[in-house]
Amino acid sequence: MLAGWFFLIKILTMKFLKIGILLAIVAASIAACSSDSDSPEETNDTFDRGAMLANWADNIIIPAYSSFNSKVVEMESATTIFNAMPTVENLQSLRSFWKEAYVSFQNVSMFEIGKAEEVRFRNRLNVYPTNVAQIEDFIATGNYDFALPSTIDKQGFPALDYMLNGLAETDAEIVTFYTLNSNAEGYKNYLKTLSQTISSLSNEVLTSWTGGYRDTFVANTSSSASGAVDKLTNDYIFYFEKALRAGKVGIPAGIFSSGTLPQNVEAFYKKDISKELLLEAIDASVNFFNGRSFNGNSTGQSFKTYLDYLNTIKNGENLSALINNQFAVAKNKANELNVNFIQQIETDNTKMLASYDELQRLVVLMKVDMVQAFDVTIDYVDADGD
Amino acid sequence: MKNLLSATLVISALVFVSCSSDDDQPIVQNTVEVPSTYKFMRDSESTVNFDGQTTRILMAGQTANAFTDFDNATESSLLAMFNHQAGNIDFTEADLNASDKNLRSKTAASYDYFFTNTSESAEIKATFENYISSQVNEVFPNIMVVATPGTPGQIADGTRTRYVSAKGLEYNQAFAKSLLGAVMADQILNNYLSAAVLDDGNNRENNDNGITEENKSYTTMEHKWDEAYGYLYGTSANPENPNLTIGEDDKFLNEYVGRVNDDPDFSTIAADIWDAFKLGRAAIVAKNYEVRDEQVAIIREKISEVIAVRGIYYLQAGKNKIVDGDRQGAFHALSEAYGFVYSLRFTRKSDNSTPLFTKTEVDALLNMLMNSSNNGFWDIAPETLDAVSEAMAAKFDFTVSEAASL
Repeated sequence: MLAGWFFLIKILTMKFLKIGILLAIVAASIAACSSDSDSPEETNDTFDRGAMLANWADNIIIPAYSSFNSKVVEMESATTIFNAMPTVENLQSLRSFWKEAYVSFQNVSMFEIGKAEEVRFRNRLNVYPTNVAQIEDFIATGNYDFALPSTIDKQGFPALDYMLNGLAETDAEIVTFYTLNSNAEGYKNYLKTLSQTISSLSNEVLTSWTGGYRDTFVANTSSSASGAVDKLTNDYIFYFEKALRAGKVGIPAGIFSSGTLPQNVEAFYKKDISKELLLEAIDASVNFFNGRSFNGNSTGQSFKTYLDYLNTIKNGENLSALINNQFAVAKNKANELNVNFIQQIETDNTKMLASYDELQRLVVLMKVDMVQAFDVTIDYVDADGD
Repeated sequence: MKNLLSATLVISALVFVSCSSDDDQPIVQNTVEVPSTYKFMRDSESTVNFDGQTTRILMAGQTANAFTDFDNATESSLLAMFNHQAGNIDFTEADLNASDKNLRSKTAASYDYFFTNTSESAEIKATFENYISSQVNEVFPNIMVVATPGTPGQIADGTRTRYVSAKGLEYNQAFAKSLLGAVMADQILNNYLSAAVLDDGNNRENNDNGITEENKSYTTMEHKWDEAYGYLYGTSANPENPNLTIGEDDKFLNEYVGRVNDDPDFSTIAADIWDAFKLGRAAIVAKNYEVRDEQVAIIREKISEVIAVRGIYYLQAGKNKIVDGDRQGAFHALSEAYGFVYSLRFTRKSDNSTPLFTKTEVDALLNMLMNSSNNGFWDIAPETLDAVSEAMAAKFDFTVSEAASL
């Protein structure tokens, strides 16, 4: 009985300690940010949000979507060629176009706004792990509709990964699914529909930007929750936290589960490009942060210049410099990883965890410090899991 | 008028006198302290038992999950799970199949609210059966259809796919969140903690004299209290010390006591509820019925609060998504909220025997949620969600924003 008491008291004490520490941290951060925001922000934040939105749209977003769209068009033609002549050579050609498009996708995935948000672009193109059993079921029955929300894990680049890299061990064997297999037509149709769907979604989003959404976006300079800066800032951080940090590294490394999940790496069947996809995504994120144009080295108004305008200081250092330094650290850590994340997880998962930690530090700098400086409210919460 | 007033004063003075004289004298000898755990023994044998409650929580979990088992579930298989008969193979576990317990007989079945109100009890049971029938007859045929206003089917909620009615309601959520009121809360607050049940027949006399039930280690009163306990903690990893995993042990009351407790505005609620359960049970052992009844009042107040806080939380979460332009993303939260609002019917004022919300009041709130526009959640206005939230919070001493934060 007495022991029980002590146990309980210990637990309660631990809990209160934790809460106490948490409160102290919250109090400290509130104190810190209010002293920051007192001076420049509320009184004279006349930063030209319109110029930043224009730089984003004209020099980064639209060029990135244009580039992605051209890769996707090439991938679709390569699919047509392969279906007409399913040879090992055409498979390898299609695979390289698939890879180029997948790498290019890392440059647009973060812009889930406007038409992309409406069509759920990222969920349509890159939900992994892909559901192989149901893909095979769809192929067997020929009955599928990629517009249905329940099909997001049977389409996009991960489904193509399975169709091009995962059907068998060797390329010659993979090709037989499209030639000798009793349902070769079913495989070809599925492959074609996958490519076409990506292509038409990509085209839809690009045309929306070039066909009028750009002006709506740039004109929406309001500093409210519905303003374009607030929304895209949220989209960017959400992407970085959920799709990049958690999706590419944290989930497969087992951060959110009781064991590692190597089957959850990006490009699981291709195996040797998960690192390249991660590095491309980090580059795209840091370039967007700095407002660097997609097709060159010039920079314009950006999160960085906005922070510098506000003169945001954290622990005596410019927040923008802290973020850029941390991006460099995170990229260096990611560079140490095996090109094949499955091998990395299975041989030395601590490197994955170390990479995750550096990305996590970036999340804190951006999701806490940066948004407070901008007076932007984070509009998403972690779902409660059911 | 003047006479009436002075008469009232005299009566209340009498009441005060009689109360305080009671307090002064006999009870000193059986003071009760809060035990460290929910562990009670008689002759080195545990006196705590709530198997039936554990069974029903497990049945409720499987039944709610089966709502989206599109390949195997049928209307009759779901109805059979809800109204299980001993020996029928309705569940995946042999223990549940063998059990003579079921959910339907304990739905809207508390002594205080429904013993002489069988017509409403029947209406509530029918509501649950209608969720089942509607799920199978409306949603099942449309699982491969994208839902639109007036048409059931799929909606996207982030990376999740939800299956909703023509009005955007997820019947499985409405079923589960209504059940935590109609079975768990109702049985705890209005049945097993009811004076009519605890003190039924010779319960007090037997408890005073330590007369246990035949072949059992517990008195009837002790057992009634434990059955109340079991509806909240019956599937806890450690039922003697359940707050170690509060919120993780079921998808019903336990989960939401945990979730509300995560909100800093309500961070003692799980401890308050558990302490009251422990102290009340210790009071029964000490034959101190005054302390017991004080704990009943606390449990009624706090569990009612959990239901209202979580309901408001989901209403506001749904509202925020609608305001952000993600209306379909709001349907899941609104479906949960709908069930919590339904569950308000089973909440209770702590100081007397009346419901916190009458049937009429709850029906009015549900009507606002589902029928204030033609297509339910497809076109409900944020203002309506605020109005329902405010109406709920008005019965308590917390605000909508306190309930919505976390």
